[in-house]
Amino acid sequence: MKRTATIFLLTILAFLVLLPFLWTVSTSLKPLPEVNRYPPEWISPAITFSPYVDMFFFLPFSIYTLNSLLVASSATVLTLIVGSLAGYAFSRFEFAGKRAFLLLFLLSQMLPGASVIIPLFQLARDAGLYDTHVGLILVHTAILLPFVIWLLYGFFSAIPREIEDAALIDGCSRLDALRRVILPLALPGIGATAIFAFLGSWNEFFFALILTASDSTRTIPVGIGLFIGEYNDVWNQMSAAAVLFSFPPLLLFLLMRRTFIKGLVTGAIK
Amino acid sequence: MKKSTPYLLLLPALLFTLFVLVYPLVQNLINSAREVSLIRGANGWVGAGNYLRVFQDSLFWVSFRNTALYALLGTLLSLLIGMGFALLLNARAGKVTTVFSFLYTIPWVISPVVAGFAWKWLLNDHFGIINYWLISAGLLRENYTWLGNPGTALLCVTIARVWQFYPFAMVMFLAGLQAIPQEQYEAAAVDGATAFRRFFHITLPNLRTVTSVLLVLGVIWSFNDFNMVFVMTRGGPINASMVLPVLVREYSFVFFDLGKGSALSTVIFLLLASLSFVYIKVLAKRQSA
Repeated sequence: MKRTATIFLLTILAFLVLLPFLWTVSTSLKPLPEVNRYPPEWISPAITFSPYVDMFFFLPFSIYTLNSLLVASSATVLTLIVGSLAGYAFSRFEFAGKRAFLLLFLLSQMLPGASVIIPLFQLARDAGLYDTHVGLILVHTAILLPFVIWLLYGFFSAIPREIEDAALIDGCSRLDALRRVILPLALPGIGATAIFAFLGSWNEFFFALILTASDSTRTIPVGIGLFIGEYNDVWNQMSAAAVLFSFPPLLLFLLMRRTFIKGLVTGAIK
Repeated sequence: MKKSTPYLLLLPALLFTLFVLVYPLVQNLINSAREVSLIRGANGWVGAGNYLRVFQDSLFWVSFRNTALYALLGTLLSLLIGMGFALLLNARAGKVTTVFSFLYTIPWVISPVVAGFAWKWLLNDHFGIINYWLISAGLLRENYTWLGNPGTALLCVTIARVWQFYPFAMVMFLAGLQAIPQEQYEAAAVDGATAFRRFFHITLPNLRTVTSVLLVLGVIWSFNDFNMVFVMTRGGPINASMVLPVLVREYSFVFFDLGKGSALSTVIFLLLASLSFVYIKVLAKRQSA
């Protein structure tokens, strides 16, 4: 009896909590006249998937999606390459200034975006990288790096040194040892890190908003964030875009909840 | 092994960090002491002039108050709700907890931009479901413009922020609850302590460090948050929900005054640096405890 009551309460709460998102999903499945209908209905009798198609043609979401995919995957690859070199250095070497460098990366992660954005904008403009994919990829890489380095540092440190020493004795160079011994062993950790990096870039809004100016470079969050939504606006197509855009994070979260939450806790505390 | 190897490995990461994070910080200081227009470029040195103009701007003080309110109220409410959910979920171990903790974490997993969008639609004055429900329940006579009204805009944005941020607190509290040694509760039960006393004498003291970390981190992050306000109101109406990060964009990219924008950026940086200092102190205490 008590158990049923608790589950009932938990279910009610789940509905309350998910209400804003469910309402967006509901809107994304309505034709436009139904969106502006009063009183509103949760499930419209004229239920349709057409907003999910229309947004790619009537709104620029096909370009935005390609931009988002390009920026997020490039930033992920770049961050992983640069980050694993640094993470490896931290996990395998003792050197002067190690603590200072670690602290630098830790602090740069706490840097408020608002306090670097103006010079970054000037830098991008002077280098001809304003409103380009490359500019945004480089900035996303830099923002993601500190967190990625800390994660990889942890994963690499968990691999016993002896395995690597054996490879070095067998005549492997340092880079060979990293490539052939450490990387394969750290693969699960690197995979998790890659997902964090990808989602970080995928969801990033502030820099993407300021450093882009045209549809050919804007990412999905910029498209959604710039929508004002006055009278008779295409709320259904925008909702469809928002739902589709939320799909990768939700899917990855569902598949790897444990790693996700571990990363969340690690990211906050270290 | 060569001595230079670790430095070579670090070099690319350092270059990125220097170029994108450290150099801008310095350039920002330089900007803030000059007259810089987005269109005409840098002009002359103005010393502390930009800072004076920021501090003399009543909009700065309004935004400062709004940011503080948004950060403090948003964080406190998120912590309260997160704690409530964590306690509820902790009471029922097993599969049920896993499913519900997944559902309750969704607002945090989806992008903040989507969160802002969803709330903006929910609160829409003409077709929003909140107005409809309130009118149906007889609590409201006609459609109310939640985000278009200076009295309620910031409050609504704060509620959306709480919706998005409480799962983080929930997950951290849940981890904290599960780390409390069961023996403490057993001993208390033997002594005949009521559930109420167990909560205040065992649960809460054990969650003290998690709470302080969450509090500082939540305030830092919310203070820094650009997304929710920009997506929902852009700081309006008539700047009633303006916060500092959005104001930086306003100064720099709407009024093209990069000098004033940079001065404000530096002020934000100093405010956050002092908050971060508190955070590091809290962490240090946590590690030594």
